[in-house]
Amino acid sequence: MVEVSWIEGVLALTVQFGTVYLLASLGEIYAERSGILNLGMEGMMIVGAAIAFIFTNALGHVMSLLMVVLVGALMGLLLAFLVVTLRLNQVVVGLAITLFGYGLSGLLTQQAIRARIMRALNPDLPESAIVTQQAEALRALKVPYLSEIPVIGPVLFSQNALVYFALVAAVVMWFVLFRTSVGLAIRSVGENPSMADSLGINVFRTRYATSVVVGIMGCLAGAYLFIGYQPFWVEMMTNGRGFIALALVILASWSPLRAVFGALLFGGVEVLQFRLQLFGFAAQSPQFVLMLPYIVAIVTLSALSIESVRKRLGVPEALGKPYYRE
Amino acid sequence: MDVALRLPIKVERRLEVPASVSATMTVTFLLLALLFSASIMQLLGIDAVSVLVQVLSVFTTWELLTAAVLRSVPIGLAAVGLTVSFRSNFWNIGAEGQMFMGMFASTGVVLLHAYYGLIPGWALLPTMAIASFVAGGLYCSLAGLLRSKLGVNEVLTTLMMNFIAVLFVDYLVYGPWRDPKGYGFPLSIPFPKEARFGGVMGEAYEGLAILAAVAVIVYFLMTRTTFGVDVKVVGENPYIAGMAGIRMTRTYFLVNMVTGGLAGLAGFFLLSGIIGRLRPRASPGYGYTAIIIAFLAGLHPLLALPAAVFMGGLIVAGDVLQATLNLPFAAVQLLQSTIFVMIVVAEFVKRYRIVWRW
Repeated sequence: MVEVSWIEGVLALTVQFGTVYLLASLGEIYAERSGILNLGMEGMMIVGAAIAFIFTNALGHVMSLLMVVLVGALMGLLLAFLVVTLRLNQVVVGLAITLFGYGLSGLLTQQAIRARIMRALNPDLPESAIVTQQAEALRALKVPYLSEIPVIGPVLFSQNALVYFALVAAVVMWFVLFRTSVGLAIRSVGENPSMADSLGINVFRTRYATSVVVGIMGCLAGAYLFIGYQPFWVEMMTNGRGFIALALVILASWSPLRAVFGALLFGGVEVLQFRLQLFGFAAQSPQFVLMLPYIVAIVTLSALSIESVRKRLGVPEALGKPYYRE
Repeated sequence: MDVALRLPIKVERRLEVPASVSATMTVTFLLLALLFSASIMQLLGIDAVSVLVQVLSVFTTWELLTAAVLRSVPIGLAAVGLTVSFRSNFWNIGAEGQMFMGMFASTGVVLLHAYYGLIPGWALLPTMAIASFVAGGLYCSLAGLLRSKLGVNEVLTTLMMNFIAVLFVDYLVYGPWRDPKGYGFPLSIPFPKEARFGGVMGEAYEGLAILAAVAVIVYFLMTRTTFGVDVKVVGENPYIAGMAGIRMTRTYFLVNMVTGGLAGLAGFFLLSGIIGRLRPRASPGYGYTAIIIAFLAGLHPLLALPAAVFMGGLIVAGDVLQATLNLPFAAVQLLQSTIFVMIVVAEFVKRYRIVWRW
């Protein structure tokens, strides 16, 4: 007999878990729509998580999130400088940023270094706040009345601020991408940069802007993973989730709204994996469940190679190619 | 009224990069990478000078250098394969996954020997080598096939396939391939002596000999055979390759077999030469390190050898830093990533030169 509260619990967790993927993939969609394949997502996320860890304990949630946004923007600028201005190979730069992120986050959170940074930020900090691997999680904000509705209430309207932010961002970013001239500019830059250039769209500035967006969203995704979902610091805690977000972007075929469903699907897979294990089901080989996102991504990619599907869903043609203005 | 600011310099594109310029640039940017990482560490309050001294000590201490050579074998084997793949403009970033398929195949051979007695002991090493080569190669060909037949971007498929392979090996060692006498740890049975390196002159130098032989073979393949010419033409201009009658699907299949096969061989050496049994996450990202090496070597199979020893040294330096300065492995990751970026920046800068005009 499965109880309603169990389903509520699983669904609420699915939304919470899916938010990690949603934040990351929303940013990635903007970058890829403008022609930048950002393999550095994983690195951006882990840096975001590390910043959130250090700053939340030193200065609290608000300052921490502001710092995450600032660092995210800087990482985006770094990405843009390397692939847009210097036109370096995007695969190389992306992998390097991921490696850089692992390195930077590992150093920043090393006991002694972390202590030095935190004391500089806040001299009155007690020793316990410096030594701990944990931080205070973001509190759930219940939406009045709506959170009273059975099932939907606890699942959708009793979450923390970043979950609401991600859901609103999905709608806003979809609107901007498909219903405004800014979005048209982004998409045309990713589709045919020289054509866009001749129409007076600044290819470089557009790609710089989307890089900053992916930097901020990537770092926010990592920050959310830490203070919104699992406020216990573990080195490399993103554990490849940045790459799952890349798979998700393919599944969502570069649409922010479809990304919401994809994020719930991938989040659900991960939650169910834990839950089913408790039931002894699939306990023998959870690996095959964990493979699903990657297999789904490869199958989707193959399906997208069919011309008619490609045209309808709009795969960015110039993805991964640097732009040379002749 | 036209008072434009005129700088007395002009940046020109080079038509050809002389070898001396190329080497100078690579070394300059390597030093820049060291400087950049050192300044980040200094900013974080780490004594960067002692970090660099420790890193250097790896290359001046015999035992540490031997350890570096040992580590350089798997990453070097995979990197030699990648030079072929990148030259053909096939962006295989799946060396990591192909290594895991190689580990899967070589462990499979060991189990056939241990449980069913199917393969005699003296034939173990060669059989494992062939099996791992084929497994890695076929795994890479899967992505190659998707690209040749359907035009699917190989960067994304090979990347995704890495995680699938890692999870597949996880499944085996947590499940059917777990050592029944291993106290429940997720490990395969230990490889028997016949399936291990080290019998002749120590793992490190046997490995180095294999790596050198492979690098020379690939070098000849690339410079002395039609296959090598095909690879370069296909990589530089697929349109002309089509005109010249090069069979693309076939060429890419061979490229995939070589690059994936060598990565598979790398996985085989990682188990037989270093670890001695299959365990989950046996490679901590060596397939990605191999990409850095391929670039550091300028996609030249012979230069991949010193580049691999250098990166192997950095990996060993990570352990040294942990022991002496209590620094996490992250310090080495930071160093690797800046080296990676600086090499490609050097590639970019090489193509231009500054001309003075008065």
